Amino acid sequence: MRFKKSAPQTTSSNDSFNDDFNENISRNTLFWLLLTNVLVLSPLYQDATLWSIGICAICFVWRVGIYLGKVAAPPKLLVTSLAIGAAATLALVAKEIGMLNALVNLLLLGYALKYIEMRQIRDVKVVVLVGYFLIAFALLERQGMLDAVHLLFVCVINACVLISVYQHSSKKVNLSFGFKVFLQSLPLALLLFVVFPRLPPLWLAPSMKNATTGISDEISLGDISKLTRSPSLAFRVGFDNEVNNTTKQQLIANEQLYWRALVMESYDGQTWKQANLRKNEQRSAYGNRSQRHDSQVVDKSSALNYQVITEPTYQKWLFGLDQSFSETEQVVELADLRLFSLRNIDQRFSYRVTSFPNSSLEEQLPPLTKRINLSLPKDTNPKAHALAQQFATDYPIPRDRIAAMMRYFNQQSFYYTLSPPAIGSNQVDDFLFENQAGFCSHYASALVFMARSSGIPARMVAGYQGGEYNPKAGYYSVYQYMAHAWTEVWLEGLGWVRFDPTAMIAPDRILDGFDAMFTGEDSYLQDSPFTSLRVKEIPWLNDIRLQLASLDFYWSVWVLGFDEERQLQVLSELLGEVNTSKIIILMIISFSIIALVIAYYAGVFNLSPKQDPIIKRYNLICNKLANKGYQRETMPPQAFATFIHQAVHQEQPQLAADFDKMTEHFIALQYQPLSDKQIEQHQTLFKRYFRKVKMGL
Amino acid sequence: MKSSADPQAHYRPKPKWYSRFIPKRIKQRWGRWLNKRIPPNKLVTLTHKSIFILPSGFGLAWFVLIGVLYLFGTNYQNNLVIGLSLLLASVLHTCIIYSYKNLAGLTLTSQVPPETHANQNMAFPVSLSSKINKNNSHTSHQQICLNFAEQRHIRLTEVGESTHATIAFSPQARGEFNPGRIQVSSNFPLGLFRAWSYVDLDINHIIYAEPLNTQVSLTSLDDDNTSEFDHGKLQPGVDDYKGLKTYVEGESLKQVAWKQWAQGRGMLTKEFAQPEGKPVWLSLDDTQGTNIEQKLSKLAWQVNALSQSQQIFGLALHQDVIEQDSGEAHRKQCQQLIALFVKSKFAKPKHSHSKNSKSNDRGADEI
Repeated sequence: MRFKKSAPQTTSSNDSFNDDFNENISRNTLFWLLLTNVLVLSPLYQDATLWSIGICAICFVWRVGIYLGKVAAPPKLLVTSLAIGAAATLALVAKEIGMLNALVNLLLLGYALKYIEMRQIRDVKVVVLVGYFLIAFALLERQGMLDAVHLLFVCVINACVLISVYQHSSKKVNLSFGFKVFLQSLPLALLLFVVFPRLPPLWLAPSMKNATTGISDEISLGDISKLTRSPSLAFRVGFDNEVNNTTKQQLIANEQLYWRALVMESYDGQTWKQANLRKNEQRSAYGNRSQRHDSQVVDKSSALNYQVITEPTYQKWLFGLDQSFSETEQVVELADLRLFSLRNIDQRFSYRVTSFPNSSLEEQLPPLTKRINLSLPKDTNPKAHALAQQFATDYPIPRDRIAAMMRYFNQQSFYYTLSPPAIGSNQVDDFLFENQAGFCSHYASALVFMARSSGIPARMVAGYQGGEYNPKAGYYSVYQYMAHAWTEVWLEGLGWVRFDPTAMIAPDRILDGFDAMFTGEDSYLQDSPFTSLRVKEIPWLNDIRLQLASLDFYWSVWVLGFDEERQLQVLSELLGEVNTSKIIILMIISFSIIALVIAYYAGVFNLSPKQDPIIKRYNLICNKLANKGYQRETMPPQAFATFIHQAVHQEQPQLAADFDKMTEHFIALQYQPLSDKQIEQHQTLFKRYFRKVKMGL
Repeated sequence: MKSSADPQAHYRPKPKWYSRFIPKRIKQRWGRWLNKRIPPNKLVTLTHKSIFILPSGFGLAWFVLIGVLYLFGTNYQNNLVIGLSLLLASVLHTCIIYSYKNLAGLTLTSQVPPETHANQNMAFPVSLSSKINKNNSHTSHQQICLNFAEQRHIRLTEVGESTHATIAFSPQARGEFNPGRIQVSSNFPLGLFRAWSYVDLDINHIIYAEPLNTQVSLTSLDDDNTSEFDHGKLQPGVDDYKGLKTYVEGESLKQVAWKQWAQGRGMLTKEFAQPEGKPVWLSLDDTQGTNIEQKLSKLAWQVNALSQSQQIFGLALHQDVIEQDSGEAHRKQCQQLIALFVKSKFAKPKHSHSKNSKSNDRGADEI
């Protein structure tokens, strides 16, 4: 046992008593602050305006200068004027960049400026608190598993700043202690995460302003082909009845997966848009959260329950199959049978949906809706109009007429391409009679036009079609390149019926998904050389990709999408019937168990040092000898050995010799400076003679 | 680490702002409760019985942060932000244990304080030790702050096997003095909690009267009548005095010219025609001074001066008499007598009496 004796350092301060706020910041703390600054600010670079980044960088460089002793702290006046200037500029551009972005930038600047003018421990503490807030901002946008681990690491480093204030040790000791504290806090945090109540949003908070992704609420005919170039994930869906499925087979056919996102009812000859009626409904959704009633649903047996986890779109529309309902807070059910979020989807968002695929949609068509879905721009596309009239006379029954129109696409020499030739002002005419080449939105547009001009209410629906099934976790991934457009036609007695003209021209696209129709290189991989979807062709790499993807899926479902319902599910599995007293008992028990475990690892129960096993053994022998009448009292080991030798070597010479040897090694171990190897040797020998002496006694 | 710029600067105690809102009765009751819970002892080991833990100001700010993050996470329906707030809440829970751990097992022992006189900054030495497992670097005691109530603190960055610290106390009047309880506190590990204890190490200190530079004025004693004081002043060398010469080692210290020594003119010896000196007395009644405290201060100075020259002298404060003697023990005895001289027998000096009595029972009114 060798102790390093550290000279105790003492400080006393003059003008303050009993607080540490007036003390200078130690160099160790300054180091941790430098590290924290970079780690806290770097995840937020996307939200920072260029000049915020600039100011942060200047502050950081200045701080490095202070740390190295090259420059002095900046004058207070400079910092104050910079702060006021920055705040004023931000207030001016707040509208432009969005409230939340302005707030983030304000915090960033405050952080950087406070950071540079830090003089006292009190300032350090403010910087640490703001640091945690900035980490929370970063979490708004970064919710992946790796992001969470990364930001947890940043949390620990941020705490190391505080630890270095109170623990004057090396940086390594600070760091390991920081990790110790946080890792020991994790179990309780996990428990609180499961038990702590989830509340609905208390007020509508401003959201990040970002470029929207995914489909937009206006479709010009070329738009969707842009999306087919994107390999990024749009959303994932886990069906309840498939999660526990052992066969790991895709149960729902690709052709049934029409994810409705938008209904386009207004056409001006160039672009399809949402009707003003629908936009008004969306706008008033927040104040008037009228949910649709599922009374219309006749066939409830075929209900599909699933959870959708959508990636941020910075839009408000959500995805669902056919007629869908959702109980999730912040999701409303609109009259055009869609789901709609009350706030922008600016972060990964999970909601639960119930769909009834076999039920008819809107059997009674309101007159206004009917008018909207029959209206067409005047004097456009005369040839298409004439063709529609021809269909109307040939097939007086709407159902037959639509079927005939669908067949028309099949019979004529249409072909499906993602890069169709350009079309002129009479879009539908050009498509139908000139090019006869296009993709989903061209066909859908043409079908809706003809249906409307022959007197059948019809509309375009935009969304996604298909989904990649992940057999590892049993869920579907829908990528941006699966964006699709199709038509819904209203038929008497049936309601809105889905017709997808694309299926007539490119049935593989619908039956087996996008990938069966196109190779990735021609579409979604074209612009993205580094996406993981590239490995699809290589089986074992694809296996790993699916494995990682399913891990991310579970993370999304159980952590990001952990809502009241999941909470209840977990708690009832733990406790049986959930009630408040059971939860309180659970909390008290776990609190104390966790506290005891932490206290054990902190060393609370270990105040008396463990006796050195060598000394323990030596004392054991001494006690045994004392029982035989040979008291050691205050004799040093050497003298005691001589005493014992003289006393027993007549009767038990072996014992005397062994005890001599044992004492010799004991003295070596206790008092001599030894190398590790020597210690080991002496210990082995000491133990050997100890056993012999013990036997002899 | 700044060291005290002017060691003689007097520290003005700062009472806590809320201190005056607490009724005296409650303070007394608190003092009695503390005396029962952590009784005064020369050696005190901190245990769960004597450690208090409450959130610090920063800890409260941390609570607010947790609340704000929870609201933030709720409003954005972001489970990770909610998770972060809950993690920070759990860190609080962990920190309580480490705060406790940081003080538990710390043993404080009082040491004999150095001699101090009135109006002088005091320092009470305390030795700290811990029964900690040295193999684990996290288990030593970090950032221990020691101070008497409302007094300047001293911070120990780390307490190892054995550490010494001196705890300051602002100057007090002469007399018996009990500095009261030592506040042992620490904000380790994150500054979220303050763990503290009030330890009474049973320090009873005597503050000597402040020495006042004066000339030695001795009262002679009649050889034949030892029980009475001779009030006639000895005029040193009035008749037989020949002059001063430089002190030579080995000469009797009784002949050193203390007046000149005190004036800083070095050791000089008075040459007498009859060099036989007589034992001398220091007497309160014969000391000149505007008030009793001044007189006592002058006596204190003379005691030191005479002791330094190893001269034999006696001290008489009215009825309290210390027989002639010399040496360190004698000096201490004399100084203690002066320090503890009760003034109430005579005219009450205005400035220091109340102060003194207050400091004697301060153990009870610490918060």
